[in-house]
Amino acid sequence: MTIATVETTRVASWRLLLRNPMTVVSAAVLGVVIVVAVAANWIAPFGVNDVDVPNALQPPSGEHWFGTDELGRDVLSRVLVATQASMRVAVVSVAFAVVVGVTVGVIAGYRGGWVDTVFMRVVDVMFAFPVLLLALAVVAILGPGTTTTILAIGIVYTPIFARVARASTLSVRVEPFVQMSRAMGTGNLYILARHIIPNIAGPLIVQTSLSLAFAILSEAALSFLGLGIQPPQPSLGRMIFDSQGFVTMAWWMAVFPGAAIVVIVLAFNLVGDGLRDVLDPKQRTMIEARSKQ
Amino acid sequence: MTRSAVLAAVGVAVAVVAALTACSTGDRVDLGGDSSGNLVAAIAGEPDQLDPQKTSAYFSFEVLENVFDTLVEPDANLEMRPALAESWTVSPDQLVWTFHLRRSVTFHDGSPFTADDVVYSYRRIIDQELANADKLSAVTGITAADPSTVVITLKQPTPNLLTNLGGFKGLAIVQRRNVESGEIATHPVGTGPFAFQSQKSGDSIILKANPTYWAGAPKVSGVTFRFISEPSTALSALQAGEIDWTDSIPTQRVAQLKDDDSITLATTASNDYWYLALNEARPPWNDLRVRQAIAYAIDRDAIVQATSYGTAVANQLAIPQGNPWYTPYDAYRHDVDKAKSLLADAGAAPKSLDMLVTNEYPETVTAAQIIADNLAPLGITVNIRTVDFATWLDEQNNGHFDMLMMGWLGNIDPDDFYYAQHHTNGSSNAQKFSNPEVDRLLDAGRVEINRNARAGEYAKAATIIADQVSYIYLYNPSVIQAWTTRLSGYEARRDGAIRFRTATLASGGAA
Amino acid sequence: MTAVFTHPITRFIARRLLYSLVVLFGVLVVVFALVHLVPGDPVRIALGTRYTPEAYNALRSASGLDRPLVEQFFGYIGSALTGDLGVSFRNGDPVTVTLLERLPATVSLGLVGILIALLIALPAGIWSALHEGRVSDAIVRITSQFGVSIPDFWLGILLIALFASTLGWLPTSGYRPLLDDPAGWLRHIVLPGLTVGLVAAAIMTRYVRSAVLEVASMGYVRTARSKGLPPQVVTFRHTVRNALVPVLTITGIQLATILGGVIVVEVVFAWPGLGRLVYNAVAARDYPVIQGAVLLIAALFLLINLIVDVLYAVVDPRIRLA
Repeated sequence: MTIATVETTRVASWRLLLRNPMTVVSAAVLGVVIVVAVAANWIAPFGVNDVDVPNALQPPSGEHWFGTDELGRDVLSRVLVATQASMRVAVVSVAFAVVVGVTVGVIAGYRGGWVDTVFMRVVDVMFAFPVLLLALAVVAILGPGTTTTILAIGIVYTPIFARVARASTLSVRVEPFVQMSRAMGTGNLYILARHIIPNIAGPLIVQTSLSLAFAILSEAALSFLGLGIQPPQPSLGRMIFDSQGFVTMAWWMAVFPGAAIVVIVLAFNLVGDGLRDVLDPKQRTMIEARSKQ
Repeated sequence: MTRSAVLAAVGVAVAVVAALTACSTGDRVDLGGDSSGNLVAAIAGEPDQLDPQKTSAYFSFEVLENVFDTLVEPDANLEMRPALAESWTVSPDQLVWTFHLRRSVTFHDGSPFTADDVVYSYRRIIDQELANADKLSAVTGITAADPSTVVITLKQPTPNLLTNLGGFKGLAIVQRRNVESGEIATHPVGTGPFAFQSQKSGDSIILKANPTYWAGAPKVSGVTFRFISEPSTALSALQAGEIDWTDSIPTQRVAQLKDDDSITLATTASNDYWYLALNEARPPWNDLRVRQAIAYAIDRDAIVQATSYGTAVANQLAIPQGNPWYTPYDAYRHDVDKAKSLLADAGAAPKSLDMLVTNEYPETVTAAQIIADNLAPLGITVNIRTVDFATWLDEQNNGHFDMLMMGWLGNIDPDDFYYAQHHTNGSSNAQKFSNPEVDRLLDAGRVEINRNARAGEYAKAATIIADQVSYIYLYNPSVIQAWTTRLSGYEARRDGAIRFRTATLASGGAA
Repeated sequence: MTAVFTHPITRFIARRLLYSLVVLFGVLVVVFALVHLVPGDPVRIALGTRYTPEAYNALRSASGLDRPLVEQFFGYIGSALTGDLGVSFRNGDPVTVTLLERLPATVSLGLVGILIALLIALPAGIWSALHEGRVSDAIVRITSQFGVSIPDFWLGILLIALFASTLGWLPTSGYRPLLDDPAGWLRHIVLPGLTVGLVAAAIMTRYVRSAVLEVASMGYVRTARSKGLPPQVVTFRHTVRNALVPVLTITGIQLATILGGVIVVEVVFAWPGLGRLVYNAVAARDYPVIQGAVLLIAALFLLINLIVDVLYAVVDPRIRLA
């Protein structure tokens, strides 16, 4: 009975998703971004560190679609590889945040009592720090670098997943089928795996998409400040930083890396919004109601 | 009721915050808005400290040049002229120098300058083995014969004693009380044209004119040194009239600035040089062939172009062309195959190289990326470690690097160019180079009175230093400074010393 | 008299305040831990080339690092309560003084940013809500989605490139205190304010829109419409005024967010505020300054959120009882 309900819901979800053109387009864009990120090293026309000083600061041309930077390096290749690096950081750090945050949130929501209180107080303390500030503090302790960036962003985004997971767990916990399972004496782990997690998946998926968007922005900000991915590894934030001294004579150095960030983040945001419309129960009813008109 | 309460509360909050915004707390930095005649100069970084005898940072000396004096100082042609010492005599055996000091000179706090201050200053450097102690290495005794006479005895003839004493402000005359109270690092007291007034960390240092300066009161009421680390920012501020002078100019803008009538741009050949150093205390860099391989692998021309945009001159030695002590040398060239075969000869195959650079000097970061590309064909992965300057100095002094890039500025005498860095006991020999022949030549050059003989010794030493790859010399940059057209009485100097004592600012002041 | 103390609002404020203090305590623990989690010796690292045994010992005891951990912690809290946040490792200046010097610049940037954001978000959000489902609504929604996706430092750099470097209308960087030079203050705050404000506007437009939508669907608005009141009157009197309070609370939240995110904008514009201070302190490993700044910003963050929650409760009775 329970499982059938969930599956029917999910099948309908995809259909609803496809109704929204924005979501479809952004999902397609996201798909392209992912392919590019994975295949960056193969599709990049030049090496990311192929210095060619005599050809520095060249505008976009047939040979260099995005122009060259101050050392003659191909901007397009660097943007592609930097995209890969940013995506990697974002995915790993959000994965960390999901695993830790969901664990904490589900336990807190399911157990209740003092476990809940303690966990949520800790989460509240973390929420008291603005995102970038907390990331900076972590970097201050551990020193700059890719690993630290992943850890910093992961830590910073854990609280939101904890809250979302807890809220969803709380609402699912009181569902009749869960109460019945508990009454029957089913093991907690079984209940968590079979009943709770599948039913909280919706909001978590939405949050993942949105957090990925912000993780990309956070990584870019940290790299811009020189605290993230270190040169000579290209990173979108650092490329924008380096472009500052040349922006009046080589606009392509600033525009293309920034545009790449905007495209990726926008895609994640729009997909997240589209998913929210579909997967978040409250929004669902409104859309279903409209689509029936 | 509730809604108006809310709005009232919000109104109060807004008022409080607005008050907070509006007030400027404490000693707000005088950005030159009111006092006409205050000069605002922007430098690229903040001094690490203000004790001239301890600091080695160029940013510090840019400021301290205006706060302190030395016994003698270089003129525009880098010839040594009287400063705190009016005249001097040398004994026939070249071992006793007698300096007659200027009278009626006072420190900024009003206390008189006497020979005791000179003795104290030099003794402090020698006894505490401070940064520039080896400039006084030949000194056996310093005494105050009378309040206006200082006698310095040497253990060997020292032809470049004057440059040692006054080439830059590292041997400035300091005040005993200022030092012993520990205040000198943050509130220096000197005899120079400007007195230190205040420092706002991360923002600026304010100097006020010293009306009793021995060479005449400055014509500007004071100098504010602002720290602007972003080069484009400093330049834009200058063009907008917010600052009056800067040396923080991105080299890629020099070409277009030459046509800008709103500012005066000066590019002067300098005695500065930039170099790479490989840490010989760490294998495989202790093997000469490996070092030579690196010297052949790098593309010096690309580095020069990317860091200076045509304003610098590539050089494989330190002393620039046009300098009387110049020695031509061009043994190296960009040759990857030669580099590979040298590595093969040495039987070395290093996989990685830890390169130490700092954001404080962006040219090092730029060059590092080119070098990373240059060394890739050799199978060497360059790990670029970018740190702040204080950490950079620390890492250099502790030998935590494989290669670093840095520059030496403000050199005058050939001894300045080579001794401290390449002598086995040199105080700045972080790469741990040691060659007995070079030591002998450098020691000989210190005492050689005959100019030609001296030149010959340094030429030989320099050649060995380059052959043995103690440093891989890169280029001599130009001194590039720009100032408002309202500024006169100032010129860019070859040694990079920033002297505002004769500067005048036509009416207006920085906005 | 007793009515004040037992009034639900007072009780709510008291509960909320207590909760904030608990969180603040947690913040203090984290901030205190910053210095002690550093691998290596923070004092040694900070002194760098200025290291001498005397300077090292002096700095260590001035920072209290030579005392047992627990004693240090309570010492830190005690000092913090009296306003003593230690001294900078870099130059020995008292941290509190440095923070207070930099606070006005950040606050003015935050306020101007929020003002610009409101000037854009209020009209745009209301308009978008009133035209829900139509093309104009879609345009506003897409634009705000776009705005949320732009990195603020990129926007700042592009604004500088266009308005300052190319057109020369505005300065590229720097700050002037309001009272010293009002015209200069305005000229210097335009670009950074726009950078902060445009991004915040994008976020706030969506909130304004949903707040107005929510209110518009409420009963009394429909009733007012059915009474035959002209649409403009209904719009202004009921919809907007009722949506105003949630919007105020969103403004508060957004201001808090701006305070935390202002770091990058301050770096781009060489703005002498708290954000740039933290950035320089991180680069220089000046832990007392990092600690102090993080504590101040987090405390401000908590304070603003507290005020927002209280305002919300004052207006919406349901929240108070929760």
